[in-house]
Amino acid sequence: MKISRISVWRMTLPLIEPYALSGGRLTFEQLDTSFVRVDTDEGLSGWGEACPWGHTYLPAHGPGVRAGLEILAPALIGLDPRALDHVNRVMDVTLPGHLYVKSALDIACWDILGQASGLPLWKLFGGADADQVAVNSSIPTGTPEQMIALIRAASAKGYHTHSAKIGGADIGSDIARIEALSAALPANEKITFDVNRAWTPGVAVQVLNSVSARDWIEQPCETLEQCAHVAARVKNPIMLDECLHGFQDHLNAWKVRAGEGVKVKPNRVGGLTKARQIRDFGVSVGWQMHIEDVGGSAMADTAAIHLASSTPDANRLASWLCHYHLAVDPVPGQGARNIDGFATPPSTPGLGVRPDETLLGEPCGCYEVRQ
Amino acid sequence: MKITGISVWQIPLTSLETYHMAGGKTCDTVESVVIRIDTANGLSGWGEVCPIPHYLPAYAGGVAPAIEEMTGQVIGHEFDSPEATMARLDAWLPGHVYAKSAIDIALWDLFGKALGAPLHMLLGGRRSQSLPLYHSITCVAPEDMARMARDAFKSGIRQFQVKLGADSNNEADIARLRLVREAVGAGPIVYGDWNCGANRLDAIRVGRAVAAHDVMLEQPCATLEDCAAVKTATGLPMKLDELVHDTGSLLRAWELGCMDAVALKLSKFGGLSALRRARDLCLHLGAKMCVECTWGSDIVTAAALHLGASTAPGSLLNVCDLSAYVAPRLDTNAPVRRDGRISPPAGNGLGVEPDLSVLGAPAATFD
Repeated sequence: MKISRISVWRMTLPLIEPYALSGGRLTFEQLDTSFVRVDTDEGLSGWGEACPWGHTYLPAHGPGVRAGLEILAPALIGLDPRALDHVNRVMDVTLPGHLYVKSALDIACWDILGQASGLPLWKLFGGADADQVAVNSSIPTGTPEQMIALIRAASAKGYHTHSAKIGGADIGSDIARIEALSAALPANEKITFDVNRAWTPGVAVQVLNSVSARDWIEQPCETLEQCAHVAARVKNPIMLDECLHGFQDHLNAWKVRAGEGVKVKPNRVGGLTKARQIRDFGVSVGWQMHIEDVGGSAMADTAAIHLASSTPDANRLASWLCHYHLAVDPVPGQGARNIDGFATPPSTPGLGVRPDETLLGEPCGCYEVRQ
Repeated sequence: MKITGISVWQIPLTSLETYHMAGGKTCDTVESVVIRIDTANGLSGWGEVCPIPHYLPAYAGGVAPAIEEMTGQVIGHEFDSPEATMARLDAWLPGHVYAKSAIDIALWDLFGKALGAPLHMLLGGRRSQSLPLYHSITCVAPEDMARMARDAFKSGIRQFQVKLGADSNNEADIARLRLVREAVGAGPIVYGDWNCGANRLDAIRVGRAVAAHDVMLEQPCATLEDCAAVKTATGLPMKLDELVHDTGSLLRAWELGCMDAVALKLSKFGGLSALRRARDLCLHLGAKMCVECTWGSDIVTAAALHLGASTAPGSLLNVCDLSAYVAPRLDTNAPVRRDGRISPPAGNGLGVEPDLSVLGAPAATFD
């Protein structure tokens, strides 16, 4: 089986409501996503999606996905899409870095492997059953009262795990948010406080040693070394996110004891192949993981949920679904959706999600000749 | 002084001698991206970035989309200083340092022209009249590399970078280092560069086999820990390049004790603003600095020469005349090597004036 054509679509995904994080430093109103369809000479086609969370969040942007695909897509024509490690090696040699571009192609090749083998991705990733995955809400930065109201609204929709975005210039406000949200949380619900790099190590130590809450704190500071400094001085478990990219970063995180858990996001780490390697490493060193994507439609969400579902329960924390925040649904009703606070991956072969091509319009790129 | 527009050119640069490195990486014809930032009062600043394909997380086709993403943060803004503008860009689009490098260099060119000063003055003040060059020798047959070293020695070059690993042959790599060392006699600096392409075992075997010779190793492996292990096992001095690209990685390398010398490249760090900070840090970390860029022509060469000329001579390992490795020249009046040394251009800002007839029509214009 050989890849015969790769088509690319661009789509704007408006958010239902503007989304603020990192103390309002970063605000988002819409996302720029790219869909790819990988066609083969045997008639199978696979779909993938790469959707950076705007351009200010990570070193990634929507037009950069399409520019990177101009280099990577021609290099994959003629390869067997089922040989995922080889496909990834070719991508890494062709264009070092630029992991966020590679994830769309990698996911599409997994979709083909799944269809060709007649198995859903969760099974290919090692799962015995299509375990349902707890879904967590995402609560943007606000006053404690605003945030508690949003948590209550999320609870009413079945969410039992909440990710609250905190981190501002004012230390007192963050202490107040953490204490108020923890006090207001129903007994059977959990919360993680996501700082999105907003604190310096000094602020982190000051805030976390002033609160009674012992919930997870996510990405308190910018760098791995800064997070490790904080982890050694506070009682809260630390979750790492934005400072991790390649496998080596995860190895370093373990070496410097920077936390007890990581977020595994296919688009940030370069696709499902690399995310699975990181997941397997995380399981072996006892990390707890949120497995979800950076952003995107229910297609990107579903790819991540396949991996999350196949992860041992003890190592799996809840997953966030981006599509829930979107005003459009390019894969109508398909894939892993939130049902009473849980999402279940499809059990049809492959990814189990195909977009409605009439919603996507004309492709903006098509690659057929090997270069 | 309001910034009114950015023009982008893509110009193929052909290596005078095709350049081979470990891992099958080659440099024959490579696209350089040249930019010009225009202002309302008529001053313009020039920038350039030329990613070597498959070498770093950077590619020529990624520059224009990143610049387009950032135009709103540059065009229409009052120009105050390069650092203030770059801070805005870092908040707008994290990463993409290679695209930012071209913008930053152009902003420094503008800054120097606006203040009526050459960049070496604004980067700390001139410390050297002329700077030592190294010559990079492509990885081919050991005897041919020794001949190239002799030719370069005759032209006054006293620092030699020997590319290793292109044929995955330890014996050949040992011969490369030994023959070049013998060809240039005692005194000159000789270092063997794997560009991350060796594993620990091969690098240690080659390093120990040449340990009796006066050579330095450069960037043998793909992680800092591996490079540190190679240094410990061989006892040879170590130069780092690809793995150090920001403050965090410089500090880690320093902590591991494997950074006797370091390549400070504009495109790796994100331009002169970031490279000046790295230069100032390295003065304290004790690493001798090679101040240069990945590849490119007269604009990046001039930018690196200005920073090199304002660096304490005792801490400067060398600079590189990249523009002498490729054709065409963008500015035929730009500096050239003489007796193995080179000086930054005279004139305000960068002091180079690219030839518009060489550049042709811009590939993109934003205003």
